[in-house]
Amino acid sequence: MVQFNLPQNSKIEVGKYYKDITNSKNLKKVNVYRWDPSTGKNPQVDTFEVDMDNCGPKVLDILFKIKNEIDPSLTFRRSCAHGVCGSCAMNIDGVNTLACIKSHTDINGDLNVYPLPHLKVLKDLIGDLTTLYKQYESIKPWLETKQTGEEKTEIKQTQKDREKLDGYYECILCACCSTSCPSYWWNGDKYLGPAVLLQAYRWINDSRDGDKKARLKKVADELKLYRCHTIMNCTNSCPKGLNPAKAIGSIKKMLATS
Amino acid sequence: MKNNNNPLSPHLQIYSWQISSLLSIAHRIVGVINILAITLICFWTLSLLLGENSYLTTKIFLESFLGKFIVIFLCWTFSFHILNEIRHLIWDLGYGFDLKVSKITGVLALVGSFVFTILFYLIGKNIF
Repeated sequence: MVQFNLPQNSKIEVGKYYKDITNSKNLKKVNVYRWDPSTGKNPQVDTFEVDMDNCGPKVLDILFKIKNEIDPSLTFRRSCAHGVCGSCAMNIDGVNTLACIKSHTDINGDLNVYPLPHLKVLKDLIGDLTTLYKQYESIKPWLETKQTGEEKTEIKQTQKDREKLDGYYECILCACCSTSCPSYWWNGDKYLGPAVLLQAYRWINDSRDGDKKARLKKVADELKLYRCHTIMNCTNSCPKGLNPAKAIGSIKKMLATS
Repeated sequence: MKNNNNPLSPHLQIYSWQISSLLSIAHRIVGVINILAITLICFWTLSLLLGENSYLTTKIFLESFLGKFIVIFLCWTFSFHILNEIRHLIWDLGYGFDLKVSKITGVLALVGSFVFTILFYLIGKNIF
């Protein structure tokens, strides 16, 4: 059901203000969404004054600086810090992206950091992606073949067929796209969302896969696929520059022509 | 994992509008307005059928400031809906998904809708 307003327990309150103690002249105000499950309070937005003269160029560097020097309880996911693992996906300056490849110099004024939109928050900037992972599992993200495992030959793919996966295999499942999609906000339990549909297309399009028809049939559903209304928030937010909207369009076209 | 009491992270409240998302929601709203507009057009044609007096009443309304505003606004909503629908049809054919291209076509649809509105107005005024 579409609910535009946040539920009562999710209303954001004004949080603490951490004043700069380094006497730096080059300050940036960073507003960060905070929620601690142990307090039972509503989420709040804390403001940190960060000394930018001694800070790395990325938003993730700012978050680390806050965690190391100001408030060690700040919680966020991160791993590789090079835009490969997809852990530090969050909403920065109103658009979902990876904190580790977003330069804070691109952002004028205060920096706003929120968790990925429309997820149950576990703590601070960490959202619960369980549903998305279940949906990902439902599209069988592996090769379905008739092989038994006894065969001694590999399944070969021509260079041309391999090229068909370009722009799709690079997806790191950071969930930036899915959580940017208003359709996924309102129907996240049924609609698969851009990330999972892009993955679905990647397996449908794989020449080595033997289950193309069944895959297409499974995804051809009013709610699972056709809730995409080409809003294009997904493509706008993808930190890897991929195009989930195009993948979904291609699945629709395949279904219409098959 | 059971976490029904956990807060929901903000969505509409914080997400920045993109050209594409604005046009998408505008397309929907305009679609609803257009359906209502068809009712208005029905009344207009009905008044033609009912003879001179009833037609004059409609005419007075449509020539008032509010009436003119509504008619010109409807010119825009129909132009916008048609142009953006063409964009959707091209998407359905599998083209124009590229981020840059979709932005350009979006702006074209928006600018085009205003151009069409002005054209309709001028044609209505018998300028050509």
